[in-house]
Amino acid sequence: MALLEIDDIHVFYDKIEALKGVSMSVEEGRIVTLVGGNGAGKSTTLRAVSGLLHPRQGAIRYAGETLGQYGAHEIAAMGLVQVPEGRRIFGRLTVNENLEMGAFTQKNRQQIAEDRERMLTLFPRLRERLRQVAGTLSGGEQQMVATARAMMARPRALLMDEPSMGLSPMMVEQVFETIRTINAQGVTVLLVEQNALLALSIADTGYVMESGRIVLSGSGPELLDDERVRRAYLG
Amino acid sequence: MPTSLAILPRRRQPATPLQRTLGVGLVFGVIGVYLAAVGLLPMLNKRSVIVDTIGLGDATMIAIGLGAGAMAARHAHTRGGATLHGLLAGAVAGAMAAALAVVMQLVSLQSIFIQLSPALFTMLTLGLGLAGGAAVLIGGGAAAGLAGALLRDSPPGGRRIVLAGLGTVVVAGVFQELIQLVLQNAGALTTSASEFFYTWEGLSQQGAAAIFVIAAIIAGLNAMVQRRAAGRVAASERRVRLRRLLRAGILLLLLVCFPLLAGSYIGQVLMLVGLYILMGMGLNLEVGLAGLLDLGFVAFFAVGAYTTALLTADSAHALAALSYWEAMPIAVLLSICVGVIFGIPVLGVRGDYLAVATMGLGEIVRVIVTSDFAAPLLGGAQGVLQIPKPRIGATVLATPVALFYLTLAASAVAAYVAWRLENSRLGRAWMALRDDEDVAQALGVNLIRSKLLAYGLGAAFAGLGGSIFAVMLSSVYPSSFQLLISINVLALIIVGGMGSLPGVVVGSLALIGLPELLREFGEYRYLFYGAVLVIMMRLKPEGLWPSEVRRRELHAGDEAEALDAGADLLPAGQHASSAAE
Repeated sequence: MALLEIDDIHVFYDKIEALKGVSMSVEEGRIVTLVGGNGAGKSTTLRAVSGLLHPRQGAIRYAGETLGQYGAHEIAAMGLVQVPEGRRIFGRLTVNENLEMGAFTQKNRQQIAEDRERMLTLFPRLRERLRQVAGTLSGGEQQMVATARAMMARPRALLMDEPSMGLSPMMVEQVFETIRTINAQGVTVLLVEQNALLALSIADTGYVMESGRIVLSGSGPELLDDERVRRAYLG
Repeated sequence: MPTSLAILPRRRQPATPLQRTLGVGLVFGVIGVYLAAVGLLPMLNKRSVIVDTIGLGDATMIAIGLGAGAMAARHAHTRGGATLHGLLAGAVAGAMAAALAVVMQLVSLQSIFIQLSPALFTMLTLGLGLAGGAAVLIGGGAAAGLAGALLRDSPPGGRRIVLAGLGTVVVAGVFQELIQLVLQNAGALTTSASEFFYTWEGLSQQGAAAIFVIAAIIAGLNAMVQRRAAGRVAASERRVRLRRLLRAGILLLLLVCFPLLAGSYIGQVLMLVGLYILMGMGLNLEVGLAGLLDLGFVAFFAVGAYTTALLTADSAHALAALSYWEAMPIAVLLSICVGVIFGIPVLGVRGDYLAVATMGLGEIVRVIVTSDFAAPLLGGAQGVLQIPKPRIGATVLATPVALFYLTLAASAVAAYVAWRLENSRLGRAWMALRDDEDVAQALGVNLIRSKLLAYGLGAAFAGLGGSIFAVMLSSVYPSSFQLLISINVLALIIVGGMGSLPGVVVGSLALIGLPELLREFGEYRYLFYGAVLVIMMRLKPEGLWPSEVRRRELHAGDEAEALDAGADLLPAGQHASSAAE
């Protein structure tokens, strides 16, 4: 059974139906990507999974449990951790304090220290910036902080929302490299991206979304070759 | 003329230095005339800085001249130019005051501006008649302007010494009554010091000179020490923390010893300050840490006061006849409950909307207390009377000074709790919620529990304050629990420094204590109050004693913008170096 199963969810903002029956399945240990244009409902899907929105219909199952009854903080504690869109780091706290906030659900001090060390090895740049106020970092560095912060919560699955947004091409490359590294360490990744070409090229499975519906799905390479995907997203 | 030109914004000719200087002089002159016309100058002159020599009003006029000179000197390029411009601006400001005197001589405006009294005329002209007075005003303005310009251009070390001297003399003169009282109560040595500096009316001329010299020497020594410290590598973090601790310690020591020396009036003032400190620390948890802008805070204060009253009072409304020490914990617990209940309806409300919603909730509490509906229980507009003072063994804490120490003890406990909370898991959850609710939740912060705890614990502090307030007045009335109290508490934590514990103390002293000492200026106090708030927010938005995080935020602001603008346009390697600067 898949680690995360989204089963025909419908999400409404007041009367507007943002998700009109979305189903997806994320296998443990994989990178799964959800691509699509602006306003297709990608972020809404992620927000529903992390418990910030509640579907009016349908169910989300994670590790054998139905998530509907849980609040966002409980879902985070279950290991389903989001890296929000636009990074949204705690801008007036230092990098170190941001990482500590990430470990909010963790109790074991020694383990937290080890995790922090692991993150600083993964992002050597952050070690130099540890005492710096996070708001003063560059966009790429802020993305590192956001990712490292989420990783401090020891996620079983990482939900990444548009990590490439607003970054230089070189930085984007680095971000995707990081995603692959994290995945290789055993963390399942659900990646939401507008940059379909890059996202599909690292994903095991891809879903294409348009106006609140999944219109296509398949393996990463399959979708990359698909004529319709090429026309719509890759130009 | 082609019509298209009319659309273009009209570009103004840049002002010449002369025009600018005249403008500065006029602005400062208008300030002076305004202060005179509303009656503030004669009012201020009732307090003397130096007996029979300079009143506070005169000092204000001199300060206006100094300010005009300093401002005008800003634009000059050469030193000679600066002094000339300062002189001119000061003279213009003086001339405006002289013009006011001339107008007052020619036409009687007192039927319209009641404050334009003969007393003001005498004060403006120094009793020298119109011609002599006008000459002195213009000449004095020019001299003050010149001094202002010279001060501005002098090296910062020298400037600081002069300003410290002048400032100390003004403070020593204005608060002479209080200072004399303290000095005379403190011991034989200070009594003779007091006799040296002061006559019974106020600061003597020799005393002023001596204080100026002493303050200048201390400021000079201080500057020297600092320069030497700066000469070494930047002061280590530990040193900075030690110095801060020392400052806090001195402040605390003053708070503890002061009322003993200064008597019951000051005890009363400081007790009020202490109550606001208690409330400030509570609201600081809500606003400063959790970012919940609460304008209904007074409701918790009322709950604490009424609970204590109803449980201890010797009146018809009393529910029980407990001792104060039994009633206080119940009052605090009940405040917590009310805080949590209060928080539930506004859980999903954020920012400005929350301020309005909580204001409404606060008013509801007040209206309920005043209502006929609750009158049988709470006493309605008549309130609850005859609340006994707390007693420890056989001693009754009846005097303001004794109650002040009760407040101080409560504040100390509250400060410890607040400090522990700030550094706790809950404190971190609050800070995360304040910065970004969604992300905080996504990291595992329980939004509902954390927010309700913020309201509940904040309310506990206010409830404790209210409980002491009830025994201080020996009675409670609904009219004591106005919206203004909530606003005052909010203002004091903003002025002190949002999220900072010492800031709460400093803010209460500045906004609650100081106006009480200026009581004789009546309604004008609020003019100062307002002006101080505006000036503070312009010059020092982070507060008088900001928290570490807040200081960082406001200092990092410009740097962050600069980085945001360019950062991601650069390849990765390059902005590492630019960010490192």
